[in-house]
Amino acid sequence: MPKLARDTQHLLLTVTPGVLCILVFLVLPSLYLMGMAFLTNGPYGLPTLPLSLQAFRELAGFGFLGWSPGNLYTLLRSVWQTLLATLIVTLIAYPAAYYISTRPARWRALMLLAVVVPSWTNQVIRSVGWMNILAPGTPLADFAARLGFIEPQMGLFPSQFAVIIGLVYNFLPFMVLPLYAAFEKLDMAQVEAARDLFASPLSAFRHAVFPQTLPGLMAGVVLVAIPAFGMYVVTELLGGGRSMMIGNLVARQFAQASNWPLGAAGALIMIAVTLIGLKVLRNLGRRLGGDREVVL
Amino acid sequence: MSEPAPPMQQRARSASSIGIDQVSRRFAADAVALDDVSLDIQPGEFFTLLGPSGCGKTTLLRLLAGLDQPDSGLIHIGGRSMQGVPPHRRSVNTVFQSYALFPHRNVRENIRFGLEMQRLSAAEISRRIERTAALIGIDKLLERGIDQLSGGQRQRVALARALVNEPDVLLLDEPLSALDAGLRGRLQIELRRLQRQLGMTFVFVTHDQEEAMVMSDRIAVLNHGRLAQIGTPQAIYEKPADEFVARFMGHENLLPIKKSDATGIETPIGRFSGDFAEGAYLLLPPQSLILHRLDQPAAPDCIEAVVDECLYRGGMTEYRLSCSDWPLVATLANQGRPGPAAGDRVRLEVVTRAAAVLQAEGDG
Amino acid sequence: MSRGRLTAFLRGFWYALMLFLYAPLLVVVVFSFNSINSSARFAGFSLDWYKRLFANDVIMQALWNTAVLATVSTLIAVVIGGMLGYGFYRYRLGRLSWLVWLIYLPVIMPDIVFGIAEMTFFVLINQWLGILAPGLGTMIIAHVTFQVPFVALLVNARLLALDPSLFEAAQDLYASPWQRLSAFLLPTLRPAIAASFLLALTLSIDDFVISFFTAGPESTTLPIYIWSAIRKGVTPEINAIATLMIATVFLIAMLSMLGGRRRRTSDT
Repeated sequence: MPKLARDTQHLLLTVTPGVLCILVFLVLPSLYLMGMAFLTNGPYGLPTLPLSLQAFRELAGFGFLGWSPGNLYTLLRSVWQTLLATLIVTLIAYPAAYYISTRPARWRALMLLAVVVPSWTNQVIRSVGWMNILAPGTPLADFAARLGFIEPQMGLFPSQFAVIIGLVYNFLPFMVLPLYAAFEKLDMAQVEAARDLFASPLSAFRHAVFPQTLPGLMAGVVLVAIPAFGMYVVTELLGGGRSMMIGNLVARQFAQASNWPLGAAGALIMIAVTLIGLKVLRNLGRRLGGDREVVL
Repeated sequence: MSEPAPPMQQRARSASSIGIDQVSRRFAADAVALDDVSLDIQPGEFFTLLGPSGCGKTTLLRLLAGLDQPDSGLIHIGGRSMQGVPPHRRSVNTVFQSYALFPHRNVRENIRFGLEMQRLSAAEISRRIERTAALIGIDKLLERGIDQLSGGQRQRVALARALVNEPDVLLLDEPLSALDAGLRGRLQIELRRLQRQLGMTFVFVTHDQEEAMVMSDRIAVLNHGRLAQIGTPQAIYEKPADEFVARFMGHENLLPIKKSDATGIETPIGRFSGDFAEGAYLLLPPQSLILHRLDQPAAPDCIEAVVDECLYRGGMTEYRLSCSDWPLVATLANQGRPGPAAGDRVRLEVVTRAAAVLQAEGDG
Repeated sequence: MSRGRLTAFLRGFWYALMLFLYAPLLVVVVFSFNSINSSARFAGFSLDWYKRLFANDVIMQALWNTAVLATVSTLIAVVIGGMLGYGFYRYRLGRLSWLVWLIYLPVIMPDIVFGIAEMTFFVLINQWLGILAPGLGTMIIAHVTFQVPFVALLVNARLLALDPSLFEAAQDLYASPWQRLSAFLLPTLRPAIAASFLLALTLSIDDFVISFFTAGPESTTLPIYIWSAIRKGVTPEINAIATLMIATVFLIAMLSMLGGRRRRTSDT
C-alpha cells in the first residue's frame, strides 16, 4: 500500500536525526563507558585488556595498601547528602508552592518565574555567588565566627554546610514547580468536605490536602534527588574532601588520578543507584498514592 | 438588515452524487469497521448515516472525505472514482465533531484557510467570506478569536469554513452533539433550511434517531459495519427492517411471534387475527395502542392490561402497561380530561393496521 | 493558626526565599563593580574590571565560544528535537516503540556520567578515525544530544494537547503536504517551538559539566574560564564575567515573560 510506505518514509525522515543523535552520541558512549569498567587500568590510565573486575575491587576499597573505607564513605555520603538536601528542599518548597497558588492568577506566572530564573544561570556562577557570600571576611562568615561555629578569619566554605546550601539552591525550583502544579489543581471541595466531616485543620491537611499533592511531591523528589546525587560542581567548589560525592570520585579518575576503569566502575554504580532510586520512588509513589497518577 | 444572500454557484447536479459500492474497511484483523456496504446518495439529498457508536458511520464519512482508504470496494463522487485521491484534491468538505477550528487563527482566518490553500485571488476570497458569513449569520464575529466563541458560534464557524469552499458534498460528523438541547433544536432547523437553499448534498452522521428523522431526506441505519436499512425517515420508523432498527428507532413494543398460520399470529399477550407477513416479532408502535376504561363499551379484539406508570409529557402522556406480565408502552394525546392513573385496569385496543412484522436482528 | 496569621507567615517566608534565591546573584553583580580586589568589602563603584575584561583576548574568545555553543546547539536541537517529537506523535512506531524510551535516557542520566561518556567516546573515535578532536564541534554535539530530548518532549506534549481532527481539517481544506507544514503545523506549534528554543538555550547556558569534559584547549567557554581561574579565589574579574552571564539569563527571562504575556492577550 503506497499510503503505508509514505507514512514510513515520513517517520524515518522526522525521527532518524534525533534517534541517530541519541544512539550514536549517548547510547554508544554509555555502553563504551560501561564496558570500560570491566577492563584493566593500563599505562597512562587508559583502559586495556584483559577483562577483569579489578576496577570494582578498587572501588570497594581494596588497594595495594589493603582495604580502606574511603570510597564506601563517599558513596554513603552521596546518598546522605542527597537525602538531606531533598528534605530541606521539600520543607522550603511546600509552603512556597502553596503560597504561590493562593496569589491572584496574574501574579502566579511571575512568581514562578522568580523562583526558576536563578536556576537558569550557569551552575558554576551559582556556586561563585555562594563563594562570595560564604568567603572569609563577609558579614555572614564574621557572624558565624562570633557564634563560634568557625574559627575567626575562616570562611564558611569549604564545608558540608556550604555543599548542602549549594544543593538546595540548585534544585529548589524543581520541587516548587511540580508542587505548585499539584496545589493549583487542588480540589478545595475535599478540604471542605473533610472540615464538614469534623476534621481538625491538621487532619484535614493530612487526609484532604497532602494526598492530593503527593503526585507533585513524588515528581519533585525525583527531579531533585536524581541530579543532586550526581552533583559535581557544587561539591567541587563549595565542599572539601569530607563532603566529596561520588560524582567527584568518578571525575577524579578521568582528570587527576587517571584510572579510567575505576572511574567507569564508579559511573556504573552511579547509574545503578539512580535507577534503583527511581524504582524505589516509583513504588513508594504507587503505594502512597494508590490509584493516583504519579509522574515517571 | 442584510440583503438575502445570492444563491451559491449553480453546479452540475451529477457532480454531487455519491456511489458507495461494496466498501469494506478493517482496522485490526478481527475488528471490522465496515462490511460490504453499498449505497447511492442522490445529488441535493440530505442523507443521514445513523447508528450507535462503533457502527461504522464515522468510518464511512472519513472514507468519503478521503481521510481513510477502503480495504476493498469503490467510492465515486460525481461519477469520478475516488480511489487514491487524497483529501485535499476532493471537492468535499467536512464539519468535524470537535469543529477542529485552528487555534492560532481568528474566525476570518479560519474561514479563509481552504481558499488560501486553493490559492484563490484576494478579491474572490473576501467576496466568498462575506457572502458565506452573511449566509450563516456570523458576519459580526469575523475578527474574533476562536476562544471567544460560544459552542453554537464555533459550530457556525466550522460550517462556514467548510461551505465557503462551495464543495460538491458537505460531510457533517455529529456537528450538533456538543450543544445543549435548545440550541441543538434551533440549529437542526437552520441546517435543514440551509441545505434546501443551497441544494447541496449533505451527508450527516448522528447517533440520535430523532435528529435523523427531523432532518433527513433519507436515512441509512448501520449496525456493526453493515447496512441494516436504508429509506425515508417514515419508512424506517414505521416499517423497520429488523429488531435492531426497531429498537434503535426507539420502539419498545416488540412481541415475539410464537406461532403463525394463515388466519393470524400468536404472541405473549394474545392472538391477533389477520393476514401477517412471516417474521420473528410483531411491532406495535405506541400510537397503535388505544386505552379504554373498563366501564367503556368494549371494542372487539380488546385485551386487559394494568397501568404501571403514567409519564406526563406535556402534549401527551406515556403509559407504561403490563399485559399478561408483558411490558408495553402506549402514548396518548392529552385532551384535557383525566386519563387512567397508575394502578388502574384498562382495556387495550390494538390497531393492527399500524402494526408491523419484522425479522430478528441480522436476518433482514 | 488563623488564616490571617498563616498568610502573614507565608508572605514573610516568601520574602526570605527571594532573598535566599537572589542574594548570591546580587552579590556577584555588586562586587563586579567594586573598585578594590575584594569580594568581602565594597570600596566604591568602578568599571575597571569590565574594561579589563573586554581587553582580554582569552576572555573575549571564551565569550565568543560560549555564544556560538549556546546558539548553534540550540538551533540544531530545536530542529532535530522538534522533528523527533512530531514523528513520535504522528506515526505509528509498531516494533520501534522502544525508541521512545531513548528520549528519557538523557533526562535521567547524571550529567557527570554523560560528560565522561562523551569524552571517552570522542577520545576513542579520535584515536581510530582522527575525527572529532575535542573542541567546539564535540561540545556542540554533546549539547545537542542532551537538548534534543527536552525539545522533543515539549513539542510532543503540545501536539498531544491538540485536537487530532485539526490535522484532518487541514487536509480536508485542500492543504497539500507542504502547505500543511507551513500554514498549519508550524504556526500552531509556534509557541511550543519558542518555548523549546528558550528551554534548550537555558539548558546549554546552565551546563558546565558536559562542556568541561568535551572541551578542547581552544574551546574554552566563560564557565570553564571561571572554573580554572577560581582556584585562586573569587576575584572581581570573575564576578564581572558572571554578571555578563546573569544579565543574559535575565534577558531570556524577560523574553519568555513577554512571549507568555503576548500569548495570553492573543488568547483573550
